[in-house]
Amino acid sequence: MAFTLYSLLQAALLCVNAIAVLHEERFLKNNCTVGWGTDQGIGGFGEEPGIKSQLMNLIRSVRTVMRVPLIIVNSIVIVLLLLFG
Amino acid sequence: MPALASKRRIPVSHLGMADPHQLFDDTSSAQSQGYGAQRGPSGLGYPTASASPQAAFLADPVSNMAMAYGSSLAAQGKELVDKNIDRFIPVTKLKYYFAVDTLYVGKKLGLLFFPYLHQDWEVQYQQDTPVAPRFDVNAPDLYIPAMAFITYVLVAGLALGTQDRFSPDLLGLQASSALAWLTLEVLAILLSLYLITVNTDLTTIDLVAFLGYKYVGMIGGILMGLLFGKIGYYLVLGWCCMSIFVFMIRTLRLKILAEAAAEGVPVRGARNQLRMYLTMAVAAAQPLLMYWLTFHLVR
Repeated sequence: MAFTLYSLLQAALLCVNAIAVLHEERFLKNNCTVGWGTDQGIGGFGEEPGIKSQLMNLIRSVRTVMRVPLIIVNSIVIVLLLLFG
Repeated sequence: MPALASKRRIPVSHLGMADPHQLFDDTSSAQSQGYGAQRGPSGLGYPTASASPQAAFLADPVSNMAMAYGSSLAAQGKELVDKNIDRFIPVTKLKYYFAVDTLYVGKKLGLLFFPYLHQDWEVQYQQDTPVAPRFDVNAPDLYIPAMAFITYVLVAGLALGTQDRFSPDLLGLQASSALAWLTLEVLAILLSLYLITVNTDLTTIDLVAFLGYKYVGMIGGILMGLLFGKIGYYLVLGWCCMSIFVFMIRTLRLKILAEAAAEGVPVRGARNQLRMYLTMAVAAAQPLLMYWLTFHLVR
């Protein structure tokens, strides 16, 4: 039962790292087989963007916003873990 | 010899009145007999003696200016903090959630344990702003969740203590664990609300308030488990789980499924179906978490 706030922070950092290292061409393009592209969803200008396009928007914005802070936070965490284990 | 003579000068001056420049009693052993007789009058003489150097300090114009400048700096700093604190912690919004009175708390606790007879779950509005919790029992508040959380941590410590498993850092671990689960729940629900594009007026603080109501049931379960053992624990926890389930569904239905629920029509269509699933998932997560956070406390 050692689910603490610190482990939540660790999990969040790992998740954001995972989102940041997704391969652009394979998963986030329009012409791939999985159909995860964002350009298809523009047709629905009404209230219904759909879950997939919302998810794509979210992933793209997270990747754009968190690129630089992630570098900083990762470096700090690596140094701290090396020093204090 | 000269050192002894200089040390002897001080008790001589204490014979008549207290020395205003000496802040502490000189209790070195060579003068202890001389001091014993004079500690009484010198103690009485100190307040008046210390007032005069302070008065002398204040009358000095330079220090006067320095004090005025310091106090104006402090006032400016306080203003700055007051202006900027609203950006990080919405203090005025938080005050709304703590505007409760005893009657509201009593009615809300009754509602949390027995929501089956309550008919009208709609929050009353007053010129576009929701009414304070003091005037409407349906409004969410943060007083009950905060108090229930603290009580839960204390009751968990009590339960661990009766089983000889207590140590002070376990209290912090319990509190941290419950807070972490709460944060995870809030983040998951916010993510789902974003993905399903629900147009709702459910703010984050509202969500924290609703998710904090389950601590009340958890406290009831643990207390019954302490008094009556596992049977009592399971009975009361089962009852509280059902109550929280119904409470959450009826409250969230009005917030998430706003248009359809207002008429009471059974919802159809993909969008409303997703919203219904979300409401059910949130309500179903409450009993699960209530059990998960308390079962290790009752043996």
